[in-house]
Amino acid sequence: MSKKTIKAKAKLVIVDDVDTDQIFHQSLLTIHDPNEIKPHIFGNLEGYKSFGKEDNVGKILVVGKNFGKGSTRQQAVTGFIAHGITAIVGESFGPIYYSNSVNSGLLLVEVPGISEFNVKEDDDLEIDITQSLIINQNNGETINCVKIPQPVLDIIEAGGLLKLGEIM
Amino acid sequence: MTSFTLIEKIIRNRTDVSDGEIYPNNIVWVNLDLVTARDYAGPQVIDLFQKNYTGSKTFNNEKIIFTPDCYPYGNDPKHAKDQEKIRVFAKEHGIKVTDLGSGIGSHLLFRRGFSKPGDIVIGADSHYNILGALGILGQGAGDVMLAFALKTGKSWIKIPETVKVILKGDYEWPTTAKDLALYVLKELHEYGITGKAVEFYGEIIDKLSIEERVTLCSLITEASGVIGFVPDDKITTDYYSEIGIEIEMISADEDARYVSELVLDIQDLGQYIACPPHPHNVKKIEEVIGTPINSIVIGSCTNGSSADIHDVAKILKGHKINPDVRFGIVPATREDFVSINLNGDMTIILESGGNFFGAGCSTCAKGQYGLTGGETAVTLTTGNRNTQGKIGPADVYLASPVVAAATAIEGKIAAPKEVVKR
Repeated sequence: MSKKTIKAKAKLVIVDDVDTDQIFHQSLLTIHDPNEIKPHIFGNLEGYKSFGKEDNVGKILVVGKNFGKGSTRQQAVTGFIAHGITAIVGESFGPIYYSNSVNSGLLLVEVPGISEFNVKEDDDLEIDITQSLIINQNNGETINCVKIPQPVLDIIEAGGLLKLGEIM
Repeated sequence: MTSFTLIEKIIRNRTDVSDGEIYPNNIVWVNLDLVTARDYAGPQVIDLFQKNYTGSKTFNNEKIIFTPDCYPYGNDPKHAKDQEKIRVFAKEHGIKVTDLGSGIGSHLLFRRGFSKPGDIVIGADSHYNILGALGILGQGAGDVMLAFALKTGKSWIKIPETVKVILKGDYEWPTTAKDLALYVLKELHEYGITGKAVEFYGEIIDKLSIEERVTLCSLITEASGVIGFVPDDKITTDYYSEIGIEIEMISADEDARYVSELVLDIQDLGQYIACPPHPHNVKKIEEVIGTPINSIVIGSCTNGSSADIHDVAKILKGHKINPDVRFGIVPATREDFVSINLNGDMTIILESGGNFFGAGCSTCAKGQYGLTGGETAVTLTTGNRNTQGKIGPADVYLASPVVAAATAIEGKIAAPKEVVKR
């Protein structure tokens, strides 16, 4: 990936086991236009139902454990891209959600022990991809993330998996 | 020589990389045996394929199947158009479509012999890993991965670490494979298997039918695991030989490297139920006995087979479903429908006041059975997901077909023994 660091403000949704039905409900499955998906994001997650209407462009979403568990629905990723989310940082992700995100070009960063990391809403975060490190510039705290595998960076760099498919 | 776990071995047989590349957390490209898509996601996969690969052929039309199972009856104009899009594309590219009412794609893959042990299969269904019950590496995939796979016949996988799970002991009716699956989910969620594979061992495995193995493996997704495998054995080979397919058994190497080994004591396991708001919120049935229930659904890839419906019929025989309960049954496949007709179970259930709907995914996808009602419609299903708000605004419980049937008679959560005794 050409970008070695990502700097953006934090948006916190620290809830464990957020299911794709809480991100984008199954009753909406026939919606596929990113702009139509956007207002429904977290529409079934108690405490975050207004997310769809908020402006979080460019932010890093900070989530909990097993984020995106559940179904294969691509809309649960597309919606965050439509919101302009730069990356999602969390303790762990549902395996299908992880691949769906990478395939769409959205970077997910796994951070074991993220619940110990001192981060508040709108803190300035820096993800150092080379060093596998996350830095909170507001308080100087750092935490290690899982090394992002090279093939993942290659897919994101290519602009998503479909682009790679053009030459395969 | 290097030793491999089951998933490592399957991946190794389907990749072009050397053995040295086969280790946990490494990402490798695999060659797919089968790519499927259904009515949910299928139309978007087609759109992405046509938009990104204009004029291209698929990698191999004989290795692709469309399996409409979410809203095959087209009970909404959008759904009807989606059905049309799939059929038009399939015809143009010479791709097989399992017809209206064939049922759940993942089940058709083993019922109709579309896939066999050792295969790697992807589809737009997060429970494709139920195929681990037959030694098939089934994986759910999103629209982008599937559109890419239609073009290339490939996908990538992060090789998971494997946890060896030994089930120690035995249980008796009315405890069933669903209780086992719920108990295992509770333990594995607590243990933490996010992104990991599981291999199941133990004497109990020798007694589990293919349907029971599918039930056991179906809840791995709910613990965010990649897949649960029941290694191939005589039950697997007998199953395939009955449908006219010879298979090569695949097993892990004896000295394969597991990330950990977990022994679960299932001796005299009781009955379990998943309580709101998560599948892993599993409790002993005694803790919730008597909870009023007014909507019951039998179905899903977890418990929608004829064997599951037979469990229901055994308990309902000679009883009436409580008038306060809406009771729906959605058989998993057309084959299951035929079986329950032939053995009389369908008549027994209809006479008890139960209702049948066309084969498919039941409540797991809106558009077939639909949602279950308002704030007061407390539901119990034999399915695999009870996330708050998913299938209705009220609470949802997950239990075995026998618990569901006993509950249907009482109108409140009941253990089967109490009902059968009367």
